[in-house]
Amino acid sequence: MIISSTKTKVVGVNIGYEEINYAIVDVRGKILAESSFPMPTDQDINGFIALLCDGITNLILENDSYENIRSIGISVPSGNFTTGSIVNSLSLPWKGEIPLAAMLRDRLGLAVAVGNNAHVRAIGESTYGCAHGMNDFIVITLGHGFGSCMFSNGHVHMGNNGFAGEIGHCCVEPEGRLCRCGRRGCLETYCASDGIVLTARELMASTDKPSLLRDLEELTPKTIHECCERGDELAIEVYNKTGFVLGLGLANYASIANPEAIIITGGISKAGKWLYEPTNASFEEHVFHNIADRVKIMRSSLPDNERDVLGASALAWNVKEYSLFK
Amino acid sequence: MQQEIKSRVVGVDISIKRTTYAIVDVRGNIHASDHFPTTDYTTANDFITALSEKIITMTEANGGYEQIRSIGVSSPSANFLTGCIENAANLPWKGIIPLGAMLRDRMGIAVAVGNDAHVSALGEYSYGCAHGMNNFIIVSLGHGIGSCIFSNGKVHFGADGFAGEIGHACVEHNGRECGCGRYGCLEAYCAEKGIIKTAQEMLEQSDEPSLMRSLDRISPKGIAECCEQGDKMAIEVYRKTGEILGLAVANYASILDPEAVIFTGGISNAGKWLFDPAYESFEAHVFHNIRGNVKFLRSTISDRERDVLGASALAWGIKEYSLFK
Repeated sequence: MIISSTKTKVVGVNIGYEEINYAIVDVRGKILAESSFPMPTDQDINGFIALLCDGITNLILENDSYENIRSIGISVPSGNFTTGSIVNSLSLPWKGEIPLAAMLRDRLGLAVAVGNNAHVRAIGESTYGCAHGMNDFIVITLGHGFGSCMFSNGHVHMGNNGFAGEIGHCCVEPEGRLCRCGRRGCLETYCASDGIVLTARELMASTDKPSLLRDLEELTPKTIHECCERGDELAIEVYNKTGFVLGLGLANYASIANPEAIIITGGISKAGKWLYEPTNASFEEHVFHNIADRVKIMRSSLPDNERDVLGASALAWNVKEYSLFK
Repeated sequence: MQQEIKSRVVGVDISIKRTTYAIVDVRGNIHASDHFPTTDYTTANDFITALSEKIITMTEANGGYEQIRSIGVSSPSANFLTGCIENAANLPWKGIIPLGAMLRDRMGIAVAVGNDAHVSALGEYSYGCAHGMNNFIIVSLGHGIGSCIFSNGKVHFGADGFAGEIGHACVEHNGRECGCGRYGCLEAYCAEKGIIKTAQEMLEQSDEPSLMRSLDRISPKGIAECCEQGDKMAIEVYRKTGEILGLAVANYASILDPEAVIFTGGISNAGKWLFDPAYESFEAHVFHNIRGNVKFLRSTISDRERDVLGASALAWGIKEYSLFK
C-alpha cells in the first residue's frame, strides 16, 4: 500500500468585532502567512462571506497551494460548534442564525469548523498555550463581553446545545444592572468593558472627590487603568469593585467545576494587579473551602495577536477532512 | 470454546445511617437486597469485615458468589481515583480509609469506589431518566446540596475530584452562615436547615396565623404538608426557597448548558410547591439561548434504589479481576 501524503496545514480565522484575522498555520502552531481586513460597515452577510472567501483564497494562492490545506477553523463570538452557525449574536452586525460553516464550505470546498471565541481560546491554550497538559481548566474571555470555556476530562464541554460557558450572563444581582441580553444583574454588566465604565461613572457621580478620571476625554477600561498606575484613588476603587464581583463569579464557577486553573484572556485582563488583587481576595473568600488555594488564576501566555488564529487553527484539526480538490 | 460470562455485580450504598447492598444484573434488575445500620461499627475495619460476610452470605443464597463480576460502592466523601473515603465529615470513620483495597483483599474480586453524588448521576444515566443524555446535571437536595455534572457522557470530576459543590456557591455576599464556615452559600437557604430557618424567620416577623405554628417540629416535610392544606405562609416559604434555587440552578445551567437538571433527595418531595417557583425563577435568569431548552426533572428512581443501581453501574466500569479462576 502506498502511504498517501497527509495535509500539514490549516487556515485559522478570527472574526473580531473590528477586524478579521486569518493565517495559514502548520501542525506545530507556526504561523506561515497571515492577513486581515476590517469589519465591513454594511450589514450584508453575503457580502461579508464573499470578502472572507476572497481573503482566504488569496492568502492560500499567494503563499501555498489549495491541496496542502486540510481544513479551516473559525473563531467567532456566539459561534456554535455543534451547528456551525453564529446564533443570535448581541454584538455582531448579523442577526438571527447564520449558517457560517455551510456557507463557507460551499464556497471554499474545504471542511470548515466554527467555534465560539471562548471555546476556541480554550482549545488554543490547551494545544499551544499554558493549559497544555491540563485536563480540567477554564478559560475566561473578558473584554467587550464576558465568555468562558470549560475543559472536562481533556475535552471542551460544549453542553447540550453548544452554548456552555455563558458565565457573563450568570446573575450576580437579581434586580441589578440592565444587560444587553434583556435581563438584569448579569456578571457582564459589572465586569466587561461597559460595566467597568459604568462603575466609574457611578462612583464619580456619588462623590465630589477629585479624580483624574474626571479629566479623561474618553472613559475606557484602559484609561481607567492608566489612572490607577498614577495612583488615582477613585480609579483604583473602580477596579476594586470590579474585582470583587469578578472574584465572586469565578469562585462560584470554580466551586462547580473544580478546575486546575482559570486562565484569563481579553483586553480587561491587562489591568494587571489593580484587577487581580481584589479578584483573588474575593475568590478566596467565596470559593468552596476544599479547593481554596488549589486553583491557579493566571494570564494567558500566548501573544494577543496570535491567540485566536492559533486557537482557530487548532479547531480546524477537529473536523473531519473533506476537500473538493483531491 | 465459549467462556462463561459473569452477569451480576454487587452494588453497595453506604449512607450516613444505613448501608444497603444488592445483587444487580446487567439490566439493572435487583435480585436480592438487604441493609444494616452503618453506625453499628466504630472502626472501618469492623465495618468492612461485616460487609464482606454479609455480601458472601447473600450471594451464596442467591445464585452463588462465582456469578459476581465485581463490586461497586457508593459512599459520601469517596474518591473514585484513589478508591478511598477521604475525611468524611458525616461518617464515624476519620481520616483516609482505603475502602476499595480493603474490600478487595477480603472479597477477592474487583472493587470500584465512588462518591455518592457521582454515583447518583451514574445511576440516573444507566437506569434512570438521564438514560441517553450526554450532558446533564443532577442536584440532590437534602441535609446538604450536592450535584454532579455529566459532560460528554462522562462524570466531570474536576482536577481534585471535588467538582459539583453547588451547595457552596455563594448566592448572597455576607448572607446566612453556612456549616462550611462561609457566608451566603446556597445550602444555607435551600437545604433542610435553610428551609427551616426561612420558615422560622417568617413566623417571627409576622403575626399572621399559619398552620406551621402548630407543628411540633418544623421540617421541610411538615411545611410541605401545610402547603397542601393551603397555608399561605408555608407556600411563601417554598416560594422563596424556589426563587433562590432557581437562580442558582440558572447560573449553573448558563455555564454548562445541560439537557436536563434532575432533582433528587428528600427536599424534592415538596413537589410543585418548590419546583413551580424554582422553574419560574430559572427561566427568568438563565441565558436566553438556552431558555426553554433545559428539562427540569425529578428523579424517577427511588432514592434508596438509585445509589445501589449507580454503584452497580460503577462496578461494570472497572476491569474484571478475580482470585477464583
